[in-house]
Amino acid sequence: MKELTGRALVKGETQGEALIIKEISFYGDIDPNNGNLIDGRNVKDKILIAYKPRGSTVGSYIIYALKENGFAPKAIVMAKSEPIIIAGCALANIPLVDNVDINGLKDIEDGDKIIVKENKIIILDK
Amino acid sequence: MYLTKEEEKMLNGEYGWAISKALKVIVSIGESLDAEKLINISHAHISGVSYGNIGEPGRKLIKEFADSGVKFSVKATVNPIGYDTMDYDSMPFTKIDRTYLKGQEDILMSLKKMGANLTLSCTPYYLPEVNYIEKGSSVAWGESNAVVYGNSVLGLKTNREGGPISLMAAITGKIYYYGLHIEENRIPNTRYVIRRPDDYELNEVRVGIIGEILSKLHNNEKPPFLDEYLNNDTLVKELSASLGAAGNIAMIVIKGITPQKIDENKLKETVIIDYNDIKIREEEIKPSEVPDIIYFGCPHANKDEIEKIANQLKNIENVKSQIIITTSREQISKVRKEVLSMLKEKNVRLIGDTCLIVSPFGYKGLSIATNSYKAYFYLSKKGMNVSLISIDSLKEVLKS
Repeated sequence: MKELTGRALVKGETQGEALIIKEISFYGDIDPNNGNLIDGRNVKDKILIAYKPRGSTVGSYIIYALKENGFAPKAIVMAKSEPIIIAGCALANIPLVDNVDINGLKDIEDGDKIIVKENKIIILDK
Repeated sequence: MYLTKEEEKMLNGEYGWAISKALKVIVSIGESLDAEKLINISHAHISGVSYGNIGEPGRKLIKEFADSGVKFSVKATVNPIGYDTMDYDSMPFTKIDRTYLKGQEDILMSLKKMGANLTLSCTPYYLPEVNYIEKGSSVAWGESNAVVYGNSVLGLKTNREGGPISLMAAITGKIYYYGLHIEENRIPNTRYVIRRPDDYELNEVRVGIIGEILSKLHNNEKPPFLDEYLNNDTLVKELSASLGAAGNIAMIVIKGITPQKIDENKLKETVIIDYNDIKIREEEIKPSEVPDIIYFGCPHANKDEIEKIANQLKNIENVKSQIIITTSREQISKVRKEVLSMLKEKNVRLIGDTCLIVSPFGYKGLSIATNSYKAYFYLSKKGMNVSLISIDSLKEVLKS
Protein backbone atom coordinates (compact mmCIF):
# COMPACT_ATOMS: atom_id res chain seq x y z
CA MET A 1 0.00 0.00 0.00
CA LYS A 2 1.21 3.45 -0.88
CA GLU A 3 -0.18 6.83 0.06
CA LEU A 4 0.03 10.17 -1.72
CA THR A 5 -1.38 13.48 -0.53
CA GLY A 6 -2.65 16.49 -2.40
CA ARG A 7 -5.19 19.25 -2.02
CA ALA A 8 -8.88 18.36 -1.96
CA LEU A 9 -10.64 21.02 -4.03
CA VAL A 10 -13.90 19.11 -4.22
CA LYS A 11 -13.97 16.92 -1.14
CA GLY A 12 -15.22 13.36 -1.10
CA GLU A 13 -14.55 9.72 -0.36
CA THR A 14 -14.64 7.00 -2.98
CA GLN A 15 -12.75 4.09 -4.47
CA GLY A 16 -12.25 2.49 -7.85
CA GLU A 17 -9.83 1.46 -10.55
CA ALA A 18 -7.27 3.89 -11.90
CA LEU A 19 -7.39 5.17 -15.46
CA ILE A 20 -4.33 7.14 -16.55
CA ILE A 21 -4.68 10.11 -18.87
CA LYS A 22 -1.43 12.00 -19.17
CA GLU A 23 -2.83 15.23 -20.56
CA ILE A 24 -6.56 15.68 -20.14
CA SER A 25 -8.94 17.80 -22.16
CA PHE A 26 -12.58 16.97 -21.67
CA TYR A 27 -13.67 18.66 -24.85
CA GLY A 28 -12.93 16.50 -27.86
CA ASP A 29 -11.25 13.69 -25.94
CA ILE A 30 -14.28 12.29 -24.09
CA ASP A 31 -17.77 11.62 -25.42
CA PRO A 32 -20.24 12.73 -22.72
CA ASN A 33 -22.90 10.41 -24.14
CA ASN A 34 -21.03 7.18 -23.37
CA GLY A 35 -17.89 8.07 -21.42
CA ASN A 36 -15.59 6.80 -24.16
CA LEU A 37 -12.15 8.30 -24.63
CA ILE A 38 -10.86 8.71 -28.16
CA ASP A 39 -8.48 5.80 -27.53
CA GLY A 40 -11.43 3.52 -26.75
CA ARG A 41 -11.09 3.32 -22.96
CA ASN A 42 -14.06 4.38 -20.82
CA VAL A 43 -14.04 6.73 -17.83
CA LYS A 44 -17.22 5.52 -16.09
CA ASP A 45 -16.66 4.80 -12.39
CA LYS A 46 -12.87 5.09 -12.80
CA ILE A 47 -10.49 7.17 -10.71
CA LEU A 48 -9.01 9.41 -13.39
CA ILE A 49 -5.33 10.06 -12.86
CA ALA A 50 -4.13 13.01 -14.95
CA TYR A 51 -0.73 14.67 -14.98
CA LYS A 52 -1.84 17.96 -16.44
CA PRO A 53 -4.79 19.70 -18.10
CA ARG A 54 -4.99 20.86 -21.69
CA GLY A 55 -7.09 24.00 -21.99
CA SER A 56 -10.63 24.11 -23.24
CA THR A 57 -13.37 26.36 -21.95
CA VAL A 58 -16.11 23.81 -22.65
CA GLY A 59 -14.60 21.20 -20.36
CA SER A 60 -16.79 22.10 -17.36
CA TYR A 61 -19.97 21.34 -19.26
CA ILE A 62 -18.61 18.01 -20.50
CA ILE A 63 -17.75 16.91 -16.95
CA TYR A 64 -21.22 17.88 -15.79
CA ALA A 65 -22.83 16.06 -18.74
CA LEU A 66 -20.84 12.87 -17.95
CA LYS A 67 -22.36 12.95 -14.47
CA GLU A 68 -25.90 13.64 -15.68
CA ASN A 69 -25.67 10.88 -18.29
CA GLY A 70 -24.30 8.37 -15.78
CA PHE A 71 -20.80 7.99 -17.24
CA ALA A 72 -18.80 10.11 -14.81
CA PRO A 73 -15.53 9.02 -13.23
CA LYS A 74 -15.70 8.51 -9.46
CA ALA A 75 -12.94 11.01 -8.80
CA ILE A 76 -10.24 12.99 -10.58
CA VAL A 77 -6.68 13.14 -9.23
CA MET A 78 -4.19 15.50 -10.84
CA ALA A 79 -0.68 16.84 -10.48
CA LYS A 80 -1.99 20.20 -11.63
CA SER A 81 -5.57 21.38 -12.19
CA GLU A 82 -7.10 24.50 -13.70
CA PRO A 83 -10.34 26.49 -13.25
CA ILE A 84 -12.35 24.83 -16.05
CA ILE A 85 -11.90 21.35 -14.59
CA ILE A 86 -12.44 22.60 -11.03
CA ALA A 87 -15.70 24.26 -12.12
CA GLY A 88 -16.87 21.03 -13.79
CA CYS A 89 -16.09 18.89 -10.73
CA ALA A 90 -17.75 21.37 -8.37
CA LEU A 91 -20.90 21.40 -10.55
CA ALA A 92 -20.99 17.63 -10.88
CA ASN A 93 -19.86 16.98 -7.33
CA ILE A 94 -17.00 14.74 -8.43
CA PRO A 95 -14.17 14.60 -5.85
CA LEU A 96 -11.11 16.43 -7.19
CA VAL A 97 -7.64 16.29 -5.67
CA ASP A 98 -4.80 18.28 -7.22
CA ASN A 99 -1.20 19.19 -6.33
CA VAL A 100 -0.32 15.51 -6.06
CA ASP A 101 3.35 14.66 -6.69
CA ILE A 102 3.64 13.78 -10.36
CA ASN A 103 6.29 11.10 -9.80
CA GLY A 104 3.95 9.36 -7.39
CA LEU A 105 1.19 9.51 -10.00
CA LYS A 106 3.48 8.08 -12.66
CA ASP A 107 3.85 4.86 -10.62
CA ILE A 108 0.11 4.22 -10.89
CA GLU A 109 -1.10 2.01 -13.76
CA ASP A 110 -4.48 1.42 -15.37
CA GLY A 111 -6.54 -0.94 -13.21
CA ASP A 112 -4.72 -0.25 -9.91
CA LYS A 113 -7.15 -0.08 -6.98
CA ILE A 114 -7.30 3.45 -5.58
CA ILE A 115 -9.03 4.95 -2.55
CA VAL A 116 -9.61 8.70 -2.49
CA LYS A 117 -10.25 10.06 0.98
CA GLU A 118 -10.39 13.86 1.20
CA ASN A 119 -6.83 14.90 0.27
CA LYS A 120 -5.36 11.38 0.51
CA ILE A 121 -4.80 8.99 -2.38
CA ILE A 122 -4.29 5.39 -1.25
CA ILE A 123 -2.94 2.92 -3.80
CA LEU A 124 -3.69 -0.67 -2.75
CA ASP A 125 -1.22 -3.49 -3.39
CA LYS A 126 -1.82 -5.53 -6.52
CA MET B 1 -10.69 30.67 2.36
CA TYR B 2 -12.48 33.11 4.64
CA LEU B 3 -16.24 33.25 4.05
CA THR B 4 -18.67 35.70 5.66
CA LYS B 5 -21.68 34.33 7.55
CA GLU B 6 -23.84 35.28 4.58
CA GLU B 7 -21.56 33.43 2.16
CA GLU B 8 -21.63 30.37 4.42
CA LYS B 9 -25.43 30.44 4.26
CA MET B 10 -25.33 30.69 0.49
CA LEU B 11 -22.93 27.75 0.29
CA ASN B 12 -25.01 25.65 2.68
CA GLY B 13 -28.09 25.93 0.53
CA GLU B 14 -30.16 28.35 2.58
CA TYR B 15 -30.87 30.33 -0.58
CA GLY B 16 -31.51 27.30 -2.73
CA TRP B 17 -29.76 24.74 -4.85
CA ALA B 18 -28.60 27.07 -7.63
CA ILE B 19 -26.88 29.65 -5.41
CA SER B 20 -25.19 26.89 -3.44
CA LYS B 21 -23.92 25.11 -6.55
CA ALA B 22 -22.72 28.29 -8.22
CA LEU B 23 -20.93 29.47 -5.10
CA LYS B 24 -19.31 26.07 -4.72
CA VAL B 25 -17.74 26.56 -8.15
CA ILE B 26 -16.45 30.02 -7.23
CA VAL B 27 -15.13 28.90 -3.83
CA SER B 28 -13.40 25.77 -5.21
CA ILE B 29 -11.59 27.79 -7.87
CA GLY B 30 -10.78 30.52 -5.35
CA GLU B 31 -9.24 27.92 -3.04
CA SER B 32 -7.15 26.50 -5.86
CA LEU B 33 -5.78 29.99 -6.44
CA ASP B 34 -5.15 30.53 -2.72
CA ALA B 35 -7.55 33.49 -2.71
CA GLU B 36 -8.06 34.77 0.83
CA LYS B 37 -11.72 35.77 0.41
CA LEU B 38 -14.58 36.51 -1.96
CA ILE B 39 -15.60 39.98 -3.13
CA ASN B 40 -18.83 41.39 -4.52
CA ILE B 41 -19.01 42.21 -8.21
CA SER B 42 -21.15 44.88 -9.80
CA HIS B 43 -21.55 43.34 -13.27
CA ALA B 44 -20.99 40.14 -15.19
CA HIS B 45 -20.36 39.63 -18.89
CA ILE B 46 -21.24 36.06 -19.72
CA SER B 47 -19.24 34.18 -22.35
CA GLY B 48 -19.55 30.53 -23.34
CA VAL B 49 -23.14 30.90 -24.54
CA SER B 50 -22.91 29.69 -28.13
CA TYR B 51 -24.69 26.39 -28.79
CA GLY B 52 -22.04 25.59 -31.40
CA ASN B 53 -19.47 25.76 -28.65
CA ILE B 54 -21.11 24.40 -25.48
CA GLY B 55 -23.60 22.07 -27.21
CA GLU B 56 -26.19 19.98 -25.38
CA PRO B 57 -24.15 19.68 -22.15
CA GLY B 58 -24.00 23.48 -21.84
CA ARG B 59 -27.61 24.01 -22.86
CA LYS B 60 -28.86 21.54 -20.26
CA LEU B 61 -26.81 22.96 -17.41
CA ILE B 62 -27.86 26.56 -18.08
CA LYS B 63 -31.50 25.43 -18.38
CA GLU B 64 -31.29 23.59 -15.08
CA PHE B 65 -30.13 26.75 -13.33
CA ALA B 66 -32.85 28.83 -15.01
CA ASP B 67 -35.56 26.28 -14.19
CA SER B 68 -34.62 26.45 -10.51
CA GLY B 69 -36.03 29.98 -10.57
CA VAL B 70 -32.75 31.63 -9.53
CA LYS B 71 -32.19 35.22 -10.69
CA PHE B 72 -28.85 36.89 -11.36
CA SER B 73 -27.57 38.88 -8.39
CA VAL B 74 -26.04 41.55 -10.64
CA LYS B 75 -26.65 43.07 -14.06
CA ALA B 76 -25.36 40.80 -16.79
CA THR B 77 -24.64 41.16 -20.50
CA VAL B 78 -24.07 38.30 -22.94
CA ASN B 79 -21.47 37.46 -25.61
CA PRO B 80 -22.28 36.87 -29.30
CA ILE B 81 -23.84 33.64 -30.62
CA GLY B 82 -23.54 31.80 -33.94
CA TYR B 83 -26.06 33.77 -36.03
CA ASP B 84 -27.99 37.03 -36.43
CA THR B 85 -31.22 36.68 -34.46
CA MET B 86 -33.14 38.84 -36.95
CA ASP B 87 -31.91 36.98 -40.04
CA TYR B 88 -30.54 33.46 -39.53
CA ASP B 89 -29.22 33.24 -43.07
CA SER B 90 -27.36 36.53 -43.23
CA MET B 91 -23.85 35.10 -42.82
CA PRO B 92 -22.51 34.11 -46.27
CA PHE B 93 -21.36 30.49 -46.77
CA THR B 94 -22.97 29.48 -43.46
CA LYS B 95 -25.96 27.26 -42.76
CA ILE B 96 -27.70 27.17 -39.43
CA ASP B 97 -29.77 24.01 -39.01
CA ARG B 98 -32.89 23.56 -36.90
CA THR B 99 -31.21 21.68 -34.05
CA TYR B 100 -28.61 24.43 -33.71
CA LEU B 101 -31.28 27.12 -33.77
CA LYS B 102 -33.47 25.37 -31.20
CA GLY B 103 -30.52 24.68 -28.90
CA GLN B 104 -29.37 28.29 -29.08
CA GLU B 105 -32.84 29.73 -28.54
CA ASP B 106 -33.20 27.59 -25.46
CA ILE B 107 -29.91 28.89 -24.04
CA LEU B 108 -30.99 32.49 -24.66
CA MET B 109 -34.37 31.89 -23.04
CA SER B 110 -32.70 30.45 -19.96
CA LEU B 111 -30.31 33.39 -19.67
CA LYS B 112 -33.15 35.86 -20.10
CA LYS B 113 -35.20 34.09 -17.47
CA MET B 114 -32.35 34.59 -15.00
CA GLY B 115 -32.26 38.28 -15.85
CA ALA B 116 -29.56 38.68 -18.50
CA ASN B 117 -29.67 41.52 -20.95
CA LEU B 118 -29.28 39.64 -24.25
CA THR B 119 -26.83 42.11 -25.78
CA LEU B 120 -25.12 39.34 -27.80
CA SER B 121 -22.01 41.43 -28.22
CA CYS B 122 -18.32 41.07 -27.40
CA THR B 123 -18.05 44.84 -26.84
CA PRO B 124 -20.09 45.33 -23.65
CA TYR B 125 -17.90 48.37 -23.02
CA TYR B 126 -19.89 50.38 -25.60
CA LEU B 127 -23.14 49.86 -23.72
CA PRO B 128 -24.41 52.72 -21.55
CA GLU B 129 -25.21 50.32 -18.67
CA VAL B 130 -21.56 49.23 -18.58
CA ASN B 131 -20.13 52.68 -19.14
CA TYR B 132 -21.86 53.88 -15.98
CA ILE B 133 -20.15 51.32 -13.75
CA GLU B 134 -17.94 53.22 -11.35
CA LYS B 135 -14.19 53.04 -12.06
CA GLY B 136 -12.41 50.68 -9.72
CA SER B 137 -15.40 48.35 -9.42
CA SER B 138 -14.81 44.63 -9.58
CA VAL B 139 -16.70 42.76 -12.32
CA ALA B 140 -16.57 39.22 -13.69
CA TRP B 141 -16.14 39.13 -17.41
CA GLY B 142 -15.59 36.31 -19.84
CA GLU B 143 -14.50 37.30 -23.38
CA SER B 144 -10.84 38.17 -23.45
CA ASN B 145 -10.96 41.37 -25.53
CA ALA B 146 -13.53 42.87 -23.16
CA VAL B 147 -11.44 41.84 -20.16
CA VAL B 148 -8.39 43.72 -21.48
CA TYR B 149 -10.49 46.75 -22.52
CA GLY B 150 -12.39 46.82 -19.22
CA ASN B 151 -9.23 46.71 -17.11
CA SER B 152 -7.16 48.99 -19.31
CA VAL B 153 -9.61 51.63 -20.53
CA LEU B 154 -12.61 51.64 -18.20
CA GLY B 155 -10.60 51.07 -15.03
CA LEU B 156 -12.79 48.11 -14.04
CA LYS B 157 -11.23 45.12 -12.30
CA THR B 158 -11.61 41.66 -13.76
CA ASN B 159 -9.66 38.50 -14.47
CA ARG B 160 -10.36 36.34 -17.51
CA GLU B 161 -13.30 34.27 -16.33
CA GLY B 162 -13.70 31.55 -18.94
CA GLY B 163 -16.11 28.66 -19.26
CA PRO B 164 -19.12 28.80 -16.96
CA ILE B 165 -17.37 30.99 -14.38
CA SER B 166 -18.86 34.34 -15.46
CA LEU B 167 -22.29 32.69 -15.29
CA MET B 168 -21.67 31.40 -11.76
CA ALA B 169 -20.45 34.87 -10.79
CA ALA B 170 -23.62 36.45 -12.20
CA ILE B 171 -25.74 34.04 -10.15
CA THR B 172 -23.87 34.61 -6.88
CA GLY B 173 -22.68 38.21 -7.37
CA LYS B 174 -19.30 37.03 -6.04
CA ILE B 175 -15.82 36.32 -7.32
CA TYR B 176 -12.53 35.31 -5.67
CA TYR B 177 -10.23 38.12 -4.57
CA TYR B 178 -7.33 37.32 -6.83
CA GLY B 179 -5.17 38.63 -9.68
CA LEU B 180 -6.30 41.94 -11.13
CA HIS B 181 -8.88 42.54 -8.37
CA ILE B 182 -5.90 43.26 -6.13
CA GLU B 183 -4.64 46.83 -6.56
CA GLU B 184 -0.92 46.08 -6.40
CA ASN B 185 -1.18 43.51 -9.20
CA ARG B 186 -2.30 46.30 -11.53
CA ILE B 187 0.88 48.33 -11.21
CA PRO B 188 3.24 47.75 -14.16
CA ASN B 189 6.99 47.41 -13.86
CA THR B 190 8.00 47.09 -17.50
CA ARG B 191 7.75 49.95 -19.99
CA TYR B 192 7.48 49.20 -23.71
CA VAL B 193 8.46 51.87 -26.21
CA ILE B 194 7.77 51.59 -29.93
CA ARG B 195 10.79 52.93 -31.84
CA ARG B 196 9.46 54.24 -35.14
CA PRO B 197 9.89 57.19 -37.51
CA ASP B 198 7.14 59.83 -37.41
CA ASP B 199 5.77 58.77 -40.77
CA TYR B 200 5.25 55.17 -39.60
CA GLU B 201 1.82 55.73 -38.13
CA LEU B 202 0.05 53.11 -36.10
CA ASN B 203 -3.10 51.53 -37.50
CA GLU B 204 -5.25 48.55 -36.42
CA VAL B 205 -2.99 46.05 -38.19
CA ARG B 206 0.16 47.43 -36.60
CA VAL B 207 -1.27 47.54 -33.06
CA GLY B 208 -2.52 43.98 -33.58
CA ILE B 209 1.02 42.93 -34.37
CA ILE B 210 2.27 44.90 -31.35
CA GLY B 211 -0.15 42.80 -29.30
CA GLU B 212 1.38 39.64 -30.72
CA ILE B 213 4.91 40.86 -29.98
CA LEU B 214 3.98 41.91 -26.42
CA SER B 215 2.38 38.53 -25.77
CA LYS B 216 5.71 36.90 -26.55
CA LEU B 217 7.99 39.44 -24.86
CA HIS B 218 6.10 40.15 -21.68
CA ASN B 219 6.58 37.46 -19.10
CA ASN B 220 5.78 38.92 -15.73
CA GLU B 221 2.51 38.88 -13.83
CA LYS B 222 2.11 42.67 -13.77
CA PRO B 223 0.50 44.44 -16.72
CA PRO B 224 2.84 45.89 -19.36
CA PHE B 225 3.05 49.69 -19.65
CA LEU B 226 2.80 50.93 -23.24
CA ASP B 227 4.50 54.28 -23.57
CA GLU B 228 2.74 55.25 -26.77
CA TYR B 229 -0.24 57.46 -27.56
CA LEU B 230 -3.00 55.53 -29.25
CA ASN B 231 -5.11 58.24 -30.77
CA ASN B 232 -8.35 56.44 -31.51
CA ASP B 233 -10.59 53.85 -29.97
CA THR B 234 -10.25 51.35 -32.82
CA LEU B 235 -6.54 51.04 -32.04
CA VAL B 236 -7.16 50.48 -28.35
CA LYS B 237 -9.84 47.91 -29.08
CA GLU B 238 -7.79 45.96 -31.62
CA LEU B 239 -4.77 45.96 -29.31
CA SER B 240 -6.98 44.64 -26.48
CA ALA B 241 -8.33 41.91 -28.74
CA SER B 242 -4.90 40.94 -29.99
CA LEU B 243 -3.50 40.65 -26.46
CA GLY B 244 -6.50 38.56 -25.45
CA ALA B 245 -6.10 36.18 -28.38
CA ALA B 246 -2.33 35.84 -28.75
CA GLY B 247 -1.55 35.24 -25.08
CA ASN B 248 -2.91 35.59 -21.59
CA ILE B 249 -2.32 39.27 -20.81
CA ALA B 250 -5.51 40.60 -19.20
CA MET B 251 -4.54 44.24 -18.75
CA ILE B 252 -2.23 46.80 -20.34
CA VAL B 253 -1.52 50.26 -18.97
CA ILE B 254 -1.63 52.64 -21.93
CA LYS B 255 -0.26 56.15 -21.59
CA GLY B 256 -3.01 58.75 -21.43
CA ILE B 257 -5.77 56.15 -21.62
CA THR B 258 -5.66 53.87 -18.60
CA PRO B 259 -7.25 55.75 -15.70
CA GLN B 260 -4.47 55.05 -13.26
CA LYS B 261 -1.56 57.21 -12.15
CA ILE B 262 1.80 55.66 -12.97
CA ASP B 263 4.94 56.59 -11.10
CA GLU B 264 7.32 56.21 -14.02
CA ASN B 265 10.30 56.27 -11.70
CA LYS B 266 9.16 53.01 -10.22
CA LEU B 267 9.27 51.13 -13.53
CA LYS B 268 12.04 48.58 -13.41
CA GLU B 269 12.95 48.24 -17.07
CA THR B 270 12.32 49.61 -20.53
CA VAL B 271 11.99 47.35 -23.56
CA ILE B 272 12.20 48.75 -27.08
CA ILE B 273 10.01 47.32 -29.84
CA ASP B 274 11.55 48.28 -33.18
CA TYR B 275 9.15 49.20 -35.98
CA ASN B 276 11.11 46.99 -38.37
CA ASP B 277 9.88 43.95 -36.46
CA ILE B 278 6.30 45.16 -36.89
CA LYS B 279 6.92 45.82 -40.58
CA ILE B 280 8.29 42.33 -41.20
CA ARG B 281 5.13 40.73 -39.75
CA GLU B 282 2.94 43.19 -41.65
CA GLU B 283 4.58 42.12 -44.93
CA GLU B 284 4.15 38.45 -44.03
CA ILE B 285 0.41 38.72 -43.47
CA LYS B 286 -0.70 41.25 -46.07
CA PRO B 287 -3.03 40.09 -48.85
CA SER B 288 -1.42 38.85 -52.05
CA GLU B 289 -4.57 39.16 -54.17
CA VAL B 290 -7.98 40.81 -54.04
CA PRO B 291 -9.59 38.88 -51.13
CA ASP B 292 -12.82 36.92 -51.63
CA ILE B 293 -14.08 38.17 -48.28
CA ILE B 294 -13.20 41.32 -46.36
CA TYR B 295 -14.20 41.12 -42.73
CA PHE B 296 -14.58 43.90 -40.16
CA GLY B 297 -16.09 43.84 -36.71
CA CYS B 298 -13.88 41.64 -34.58
CA PRO B 299 -14.43 42.79 -31.85
CA HIS B 300 -17.87 44.12 -32.86
CA ALA B 301 -17.63 47.27 -34.95
CA ASN B 302 -18.93 50.50 -33.47
CA LYS B 303 -21.00 53.10 -35.32
CA ASP B 304 -17.97 55.23 -36.20
CA GLU B 305 -16.10 52.29 -37.69
CA ILE B 306 -19.15 51.27 -39.74
CA GLU B 307 -19.45 54.80 -41.11
CA LYS B 308 -15.72 54.92 -41.85
CA ILE B 309 -15.97 51.70 -43.87
CA ALA B 310 -18.98 53.08 -45.74
CA ASN B 311 -17.03 56.21 -46.53
CA GLN B 312 -14.23 54.18 -48.11
CA LEU B 313 -16.72 52.45 -50.38
CA LYS B 314 -18.55 55.58 -51.49
CA ASN B 315 -16.91 56.03 -54.88
CA ILE B 316 -16.26 52.42 -55.74
CA GLU B 317 -18.67 51.25 -58.41
CA ASN B 318 -18.06 47.52 -58.45
CA VAL B 319 -17.10 45.98 -55.12
CA LYS B 320 -15.79 42.54 -56.05
CA SER B 321 -15.08 41.20 -52.56
CA GLN B 322 -17.89 40.17 -50.23
CA ILE B 323 -17.62 42.61 -47.34
CA ILE B 324 -18.92 41.43 -43.96
CA ILE B 325 -19.25 43.65 -40.88
CA THR B 326 -20.33 42.14 -37.57
CA THR B 327 -21.62 44.33 -34.77
CA SER B 328 -24.23 44.59 -32.04
CA ARG B 329 -27.91 45.46 -32.45
CA GLU B 330 -27.29 48.46 -30.24
CA GLN B 331 -24.64 49.90 -32.58
CA ILE B 332 -26.70 49.13 -35.72
CA SER B 333 -29.49 51.24 -34.23
CA LYS B 334 -27.13 54.22 -34.09
CA VAL B 335 -25.92 54.09 -37.70
CA ARG B 336 -27.47 56.74 -39.95
CA LYS B 337 -30.15 55.57 -42.42
CA GLU B 338 -28.31 56.80 -45.52
CA VAL B 339 -25.22 54.87 -44.46
CA LEU B 340 -27.27 51.71 -43.98
CA SER B 341 -28.82 51.97 -47.43
CA MET B 342 -25.46 52.74 -49.03
CA LEU B 343 -23.95 49.62 -47.45
CA LYS B 344 -26.85 47.58 -48.76
CA GLU B 345 -26.35 49.01 -52.22
CA LYS B 346 -22.71 47.85 -52.15
CA ASN B 347 -23.81 44.39 -51.04
CA VAL B 348 -22.08 44.78 -47.66
CA ARG B 349 -23.49 42.35 -45.07
CA LEU B 350 -24.02 44.22 -41.80
CA ILE B 351 -24.70 41.41 -39.34
CA GLY B 352 -25.72 41.63 -35.69
CA ASP B 353 -25.36 39.30 -32.67
CA THR B 354 -22.58 37.12 -34.11
CA CYS B 355 -19.11 37.15 -35.64
CA LEU B 356 -17.04 35.09 -38.06
CA ILE B 357 -15.25 33.29 -35.23
CA VAL B 358 -18.27 32.10 -33.26
CA SER B 359 -20.56 31.42 -36.24
CA PRO B 360 -20.23 28.00 -37.87
CA PHE B 361 -18.72 29.79 -40.88
CA GLY B 362 -16.03 27.49 -42.12
CA TYR B 363 -15.50 27.63 -45.84
CA LYS B 364 -11.78 26.99 -46.18
CA GLY B 365 -11.32 27.63 -49.88
CA LEU B 366 -11.74 31.40 -49.66
CA SER B 367 -9.22 34.13 -48.96
CA ILE B 368 -10.22 36.50 -46.17
CA ALA B 369 -8.77 39.90 -45.30
CA THR B 370 -9.55 41.54 -41.97
CA ASN B 371 -8.38 44.48 -39.88
CA SER B 372 -8.43 42.34 -36.72
CA TYR B 373 -5.43 40.42 -35.48
CA LYS B 374 -7.78 38.40 -33.29
CA ALA B 375 -9.84 37.31 -36.30
CA TYR B 376 -6.61 36.55 -38.17
CA PHE B 377 -5.44 34.43 -35.22
CA TYR B 378 -8.57 32.30 -34.85
CA LEU B 379 -9.58 31.98 -38.51
CA SER B 380 -6.02 30.92 -39.45
CA LYS B 381 -6.30 28.25 -36.75
CA LYS B 382 -9.43 26.96 -38.49
CA GLY B 383 -7.27 26.49 -41.57
CA MET B 384 -8.40 29.54 -43.53
CA ASN B 385 -6.27 31.78 -45.70
CA VAL B 386 -6.30 35.08 -43.79
CA SER B 387 -4.50 38.40 -44.30
CA LEU B 388 -4.55 41.76 -42.52
CA ILE B 389 -5.61 45.17 -43.90
CA SER B 390 -6.63 48.41 -42.17
CA ILE B 391 -9.96 50.18 -42.72
CA ASP B 392 -8.06 53.08 -44.27
CA SER B 393 -6.53 50.84 -46.92
CA LEU B 394 -9.87 49.32 -47.98
CA LYS B 395 -10.25 51.47 -51.10
CA GLU B 396 -6.76 50.61 -52.20
CA VAL B 397 -7.21 46.86 -51.59
CA LEU B 398 -10.42 46.81 -53.64
CA LYS B 399 -8.85 48.69 -56.53
CA SER B 400 -5.73 46.59 -56.84
